[in-house]
Amino acid sequence: MRLTRYIVRRLLLLIPVLIGVSVLTFVLIRVLPGDPVLLIVPETATEADIQQARERFGLDRPLAAQYLAYLGDVLRGDLGRSITTNTPVAEQLTRRVPLTLELIVYAMGLALVIAVVGGIYAARRAGRPSDHTARVAALAGNSLPEFWLGLVLVLIFYQALGWAPPPAGRISPLFSVPPITGFITVDTLLQGDLPASFSALHHLMLPVLTLAIVITAPLLRSVRASALEVIDSDSYRCAESHGLKDRVLLFAYLFRLTLIRLPTLAALVFGNLLGGSVLVEYVFSWQGLGQWALRGLLLRDYPVIQAYVLVVATFYVLVFLIADLLQAALDPRVEV
Amino acid sequence: MTGADVLEISDLTVDIDGPNGTVRALDQVSLSVAAGEVFGLVGESGGGKSMLARSIVRQLPGRARVSGSVQVDGRDVFAMDAEALRQHRGAGAALCFQTPRSSLSPARTVGHQIVDRLRAHAGMDETEAWKAALALFQQVGIREPERRLGAFPHEMSGGQCQRVMIALALACGPRLLLADEPSTGLDVTLTRDILALIAAQAGKDRGVIVISHDLAAIAAICDRIGVLETGRLVEIGPTAQLLTRPTHPYTKRLVAAVPDINRVRAATGAPAGGGGPLLAVENADVVYRSRFGRQGHQALFDVSLSLRKGETLGIVGESGCGKSTLSRTIMGLIRPTRGRVMIDGIDLAGLGRSRLRHLRNRMQMVFQDPIDALNPRRSVAQIVADPLRLIRLGRAEQDRRIDAILTDVGLGPDYRKRRPHELSGGQAQRVGIARALVIDPALVVLDEPTSALDVTIQAQILELIRRLTARRDRGYLFVSHDLAIVRSICDRVMVLSEGRVVEEGPTDRLFEAPQDPYTRRLLAAVPSLSTVSERHAGNGG
Repeated sequence: MRLTRYIVRRLLLLIPVLIGVSVLTFVLIRVLPGDPVLLIVPETATEADIQQARERFGLDRPLAAQYLAYLGDVLRGDLGRSITTNTPVAEQLTRRVPLTLELIVYAMGLALVIAVVGGIYAARRAGRPSDHTARVAALAGNSLPEFWLGLVLVLIFYQALGWAPPPAGRISPLFSVPPITGFITVDTLLQGDLPASFSALHHLMLPVLTLAIVITAPLLRSVRASALEVIDSDSYRCAESHGLKDRVLLFAYLFRLTLIRLPTLAALVFGNLLGGSVLVEYVFSWQGLGQWALRGLLLRDYPVIQAYVLVVATFYVLVFLIADLLQAALDPRVEV
Repeated sequence: MTGADVLEISDLTVDIDGPNGTVRALDQVSLSVAAGEVFGLVGESGGGKSMLARSIVRQLPGRARVSGSVQVDGRDVFAMDAEALRQHRGAGAALCFQTPRSSLSPARTVGHQIVDRLRAHAGMDETEAWKAALALFQQVGIREPERRLGAFPHEMSGGQCQRVMIALALACGPRLLLADEPSTGLDVTLTRDILALIAAQAGKDRGVIVISHDLAAIAAICDRIGVLETGRLVEIGPTAQLLTRPTHPYTKRLVAAVPDINRVRAATGAPAGGGGPLLAVENADVVYRSRFGRQGHQALFDVSLSLRKGETLGIVGESGCGKSTLSRTIMGLIRPTRGRVMIDGIDLAGLGRSRLRHLRNRMQMVFQDPIDALNPRRSVAQIVADPLRLIRLGRAEQDRRIDAILTDVGLGPDYRKRRPHELSGGQAQRVGIARALVIDPALVVLDEPTSALDVTIQAQILELIRRLTARRDRGYLFVSHDLAIVRSICDRVMVLSEGRVVEEGPTDRLFEAPQDPYTRRLLAAVPSLSTVSERHAGNGG
């Protein structure tokens, strides 16, 4: 009951957040140099043609009027049409959000597993060679530019070894998967098409690995630091001095306490990933949200940028809500 | 009755390699503890008490080098392989950690923590272990044991956490129970109960070691006592003998430094109550409001007191009785919900921020934890100069005042440039006192000024406070849970219980003829070396 109230209260927070960011983006993109209308009219267009195009998109009206009209449309669920491609923005979003989400959820999951296992392993052997190896490896992964790392992985695993599929698309063209949820690994399973499912996972392999390698380092460092802190605490030392079995010590006295500090950092990393996956999307021709938004930004495609910002803001609020709930579940001292 | 030896330590030496060279933490320590015996280990911080306990469970820092031997039940602790060591930890010797609240695992219910130990050592299955855990909780005197099994450490009081800690150690079924400073942070009545509980665990198959800096507290329960000074066991013997005929100079100092409640305050020069009224608290209530409009917690009920210039008023009571709330209310840090606080006849409630700030040069406070109360990045001179910012002084005059006050508290101008981490606990508290006095306040609130200090240091600081209060030039409010200290310093005493004043009166009257049953109980719980040594002597020592 209290939990539901808490969640509702946090979700209500979305309203001021979304209004704030939408006003901000609305004004900022219009102040930026560059005019989308000039990019879409033919070179031979006269001043009158350009004015006509402006009117068509409502760009001739005062800023406040434009914003109110936009807000009205959004509340009715109409996110507008792309100025450059004339496709409905909402349709693009429903197609592309699951694409990118699928990519980053798997990457985040993989990174978390590596970071938690590696971080605790390193902390238990602090100062020994294996500890240094784990930390240096994570740091090296963090220092590589992700597009370069993606290309190297493609060269090795596709070109040289032939273990990975070509870096184009999410599934082998031999399969056709009608979208249900938009998450291809889920859809193939729902349709019971195991070979297609395998193919989808196969295509996810390299982009997920690339992203995971890049984001593992900060997570691993944080896990290692908090595991070290737990190992050095009186509560752990007390459990150890009472002769508990290794497994009990590890899971009941170290693991959970170590994880308590993780959700906040993980939420931050995960939130960044939604926009940060764009380079990897380009390398693997993923056609995801990031690629679409970047193109929209370069062409000053106002409706696209505005919709993208709303999606990212919502995503952050939800991710941090989940992180806070996880934290409260892990730590009995935290009350929601 | 005592039986076979469960612990045999011979020539134990522990060296710790550090950045500033090697420190000898323990130096050729030899001792033995028999089943059925309660052995006390006393000494001041840094004496090696905890290191000795850690050696017995072989949980030493990585850079420690050990020679000599520790045998529990005839088996050499430092020769054990990993599995033998795991079994030894707990079943051989189990340690009750100091500060139990932070030594219990925070995210696991105390019931699970007990069950973990029972399963590791007694080989019980889940159901048996929960039954045994319940029995243990009853044994150590935890109220509502069934409900408490499902509680987390942060939901329990300090005394309850200490009982849980004892239950955890007992769950391992140890041959030797080690209790490290079991009375830290507990008030007199709780300390007595906890120590009695620990002493009761000595039995046919079990010896007990109690480690403490507080000789008076543990003397009542120990058969023998060993005294550690900087890693060396300087004296060891039956309790009565050690208390009445200490041979080593350090033991003599320790015994002499124990504040004795039967020692009456020396007559002081000027008569008490000569000055005008300085502080008056009238019918103050303090209610802490909780967030979200839930029922608040009332910490003070209708408290009134008055203090005249030249007088020292003691405020005593157990933890949670409202002592700290009262001193903060007097300092103007908390506004009373009802009633008023008057300094020099001025009502604090009527003052704005800046007037209140200016009134601060009339009142100053000395805090409980001396090191924590000093900003670690500032030098002693800067710290002491802080209150002087309230009254603009010339550079030369300011320096003169700082030097004078540092000399007055027994430090001297040489300490000006030191930083808090370069000070011992006693020196830091002297700086705290200097900071409070430098502005020449009319009222000084001393909030447990010696409870974080070792006994011999405590005695020195008390001597300083005694010297200051004897000058009769200001009013002192002395907040403490230690009745013996209060008796030796204060003119009048006020006893607080659960936010209410239960008794108030001149010190000698209150100690000799307490009226309120609560005061009587409090007084009865105070350990006193003179009574302890009489009792041990009576038992044939």
